[in-house]
Amino acid sequence: MKRFNSRYQKSITFIGRLILGATLIAAGGLKAFVPAEAASAVAAYKILPLQMAHVVGYALPWLEMAIGLLLIIGISIRMASVVAGGIMVIFIGAIISVWARGLLIDCGCFGGGGAIDPSKAAAVHRTYAVEITRDLGLLLVALYLYFFPHGIFSVEKSAHNNEEL
Amino acid sequence: MSKQAKAVAGGDHFTRWLVIGMVVLVVVTGVIFSVISSSTKANESFAALKGYSLGQPVATTIDSAPGSGLVLNPGAPVKIDIWEDPQCPVCRTFETSVGAYVEDLVRAKKATVVFHVLSFLGPESIRSANALMCSADESQYLDFHKAMYVIQPALENSGFYSNANLIKIGDYIGLKSKRFTDCVTSGAKLDLVKTHADSMSIYKVTGTPTVFINGNLWQRKANGFDLNEFRSAVEAG
Repeated sequence: MKRFNSRYQKSITFIGRLILGATLIAAGGLKAFVPAEAASAVAAYKILPLQMAHVVGYALPWLEMAIGLLLIIGISIRMASVVAGGIMVIFIGAIISVWARGLLIDCGCFGGGGAIDPSKAAAVHRTYAVEITRDLGLLLVALYLYFFPHGIFSVEKSAHNNEEL
Repeated sequence: MSKQAKAVAGGDHFTRWLVIGMVVLVVVTGVIFSVISSSTKANESFAALKGYSLGQPVATTIDSAPGSGLVLNPGAPVKIDIWEDPQCPVCRTFETSVGAYVEDLVRAKKATVVFHVLSFLGPESIRSANALMCSADESQYLDFHKAMYVIQPALENSGFYSNANLIKIGDYIGLKSKRFTDCVTSGAKLDLVKTHADSMSIYKVTGTPTVFINGNLWQRKANGFDLNEFRSAVEAG
């Protein structure tokens, strides 16, 4: 396993950057230009006070896009992966919180969002599980990038190898 | 540490702050863009009310006994109870699909329609509910109600439903009496708004829009609101 990793790490890092970066850019891009929807999607979680939820709804898509871009072109990968990982932890926590409180909402992850008809409860709960799994996967990718930030096709060149960090 | 290594480390530090600065700049610009674009969009929605003309006034009474609805056209063979929150986006969909039909039923005196104005979506729902009830006093509930859903912004509690904007809606559709504007500004109906909100539990209403036809809950089969489905439910009574 270790040998496998040291052999392919640079490619794995690159693929990880592409996956995490592209997901973030897609998620951000789909929300950034429908700000009202994004803001009400965040408000639907009923976690933050309203005005704050709106500001987060406005800011989040842009943050996602900026971080995604950094990951893909390969600048400050470590910092970007910390932020991306943090975002995932928050998303996972938010969905768990919504699930635990019995709210039925569309996560608004890739646009849309808001309350959902109670008749679709079962489907919504299934969706929550899928979303949590997806975000956990992305969190793992972010962790990998934190420990092995240096890979191929990156603007940022390392002075040293990953092992020495 | 060699001189060169130090220089590299210093460079990294600079790069990091530069990157953080850029990210912050992007986010701040994005937020400003978003705030401006969504508030402009909400205000532009008033344009949709241009050329609106008020319909015939329909007297509205307050039915205080069984849960304080706003009753339009009492005594008709069919009675429809409609529970809505002014900010609820699905209520807007409902209004778009069946609103004209409901209005027709009232004006043609074919049905008694009782509106229960709910306000559980926050402070702006309460303000809007108050304004709706003020319009009922002027016998223009149908018009104000319609106009309100036409311009409903996508974002709840965004500051759009201020008393000033509620009065502006009235202004656009021709509901300008001093009694109306005073009623909106002073929050004259806030007690009644609360009574409507409290009556939810009496009728076991948990969401909006909820519709009762002759006292029976209307359970739609279509995913959205289908006018034909609604019409046949009403005609079946």
